[in-house]
Amino acid sequence: MNVARGVGAGLMLAGTVFSVLAAWGVVNFPSPVARLHAATKPASLGLALVTLGAGVAAGSWALVGIAGLVAVFLFVTAPISGHLVGRAAYLAGHAGNLVYDDLAEADSVPLRAGEPYRGGFSSARWVGMVVVWMLMWRDASVGTAIGGAAVAAVVETMRSSYPRGANRNPRGLVVFFWRYAAMVLSSNLRVAWEVITPRNDRIREAIVAVPLQTVSLPAALLVANAVSYSPGTLTVELTDHPMVLYVHVLHFTTTDEVRQQVALIERLVGDAIT
Amino acid sequence: METVVTIVQVLLGLGAVLALIRAIRGPSLADRIIALDLILFLLAGAVAAQSAREGTQNFVPVLLVVSLVAFAGTVLVARFIEWRDTQ
Repeated sequence: MNVARGVGAGLMLAGTVFSVLAAWGVVNFPSPVARLHAATKPASLGLALVTLGAGVAAGSWALVGIAGLVAVFLFVTAPISGHLVGRAAYLAGHAGNLVYDDLAEADSVPLRAGEPYRGGFSSARWVGMVVVWMLMWRDASVGTAIGGAAVAAVVETMRSSYPRGANRNPRGLVVFFWRYAAMVLSSNLRVAWEVITPRNDRIREAIVAVPLQTVSLPAALLVANAVSYSPGTLTVELTDHPMVLYVHVLHFTTTDEVRQQVALIERLVGDAIT
Repeated sequence: METVVTIVQVLLGLGAVLALIRAIRGPSLADRIIALDLILFLLAGAVAAQSAREGTQNFVPVLLVVSLVAFAGTVLVARFIEWRDTQ
């Protein structure tokens, strides 16, 4: 019990340090997109660690489970909002002092919605969701069933119009998530270091276009997410026909270096899903 | 545990003050929404720490709602900036 409290306290303190560094970076970094690097990486890891630590310290598995859900939600949404705000800041002319910019001459084509989910509306899944809903409420009354039926109908309708999922390769997924966790950690440490060291003169911002090899939409989205969590890079745009990822780099040296970094991520994703 | 939670909450509050400085100074709308988004993140962290202090799960819905609102609000403002720009 005491061990759990100690571990929980340690996780919470580590998360707090990352969160405060994120805030310091948001104050200190020179341009909106650079500030996004601080607001995306350490802020989401920080909050994930604090909630996880709180669950462990309270000794409640339910809380740990919810903390895990919150963490997954954060790691899915933070790069999306980073992407949107970064693109909006760029289009509004607040990209900052870019030493290299591929996005200027991009002819942006909106990303296609993907082929629709093949299964369509499934009544079996709908009934199943109502059952789960009633189990979660621990209540078998008619009102709960009606409420659950409404929610499940909305969820299933959204799902049936959603792009078809990818084929998964379990072994590749395990490797991917392992490397993903390592990337999250190292990118956070790198941003944290950049925040701690007071001078900003090593920041050389650039936006590099990286053509993707994949044609699969889920794989491209996963690459876009992982790039936002790999050290020093942030996805700011993803265009279609051809599929090109525009990556904002905090420490620009050469375009080849950026493209190799993305190619490595793309290979990992390609082994996990197609 | 009490002490640790207090330290965590004070530091997160300090971070929120820093983010507030950026939200006030701007200069662009993108800066402000980045800072306000971060403040919501820090708030969610402080709420999670409070649930460790009290050993209850009562704050879980707050956590979920705050993280949802942070995401939805940021996306909305980002879309607004782009829309305003094309006007």
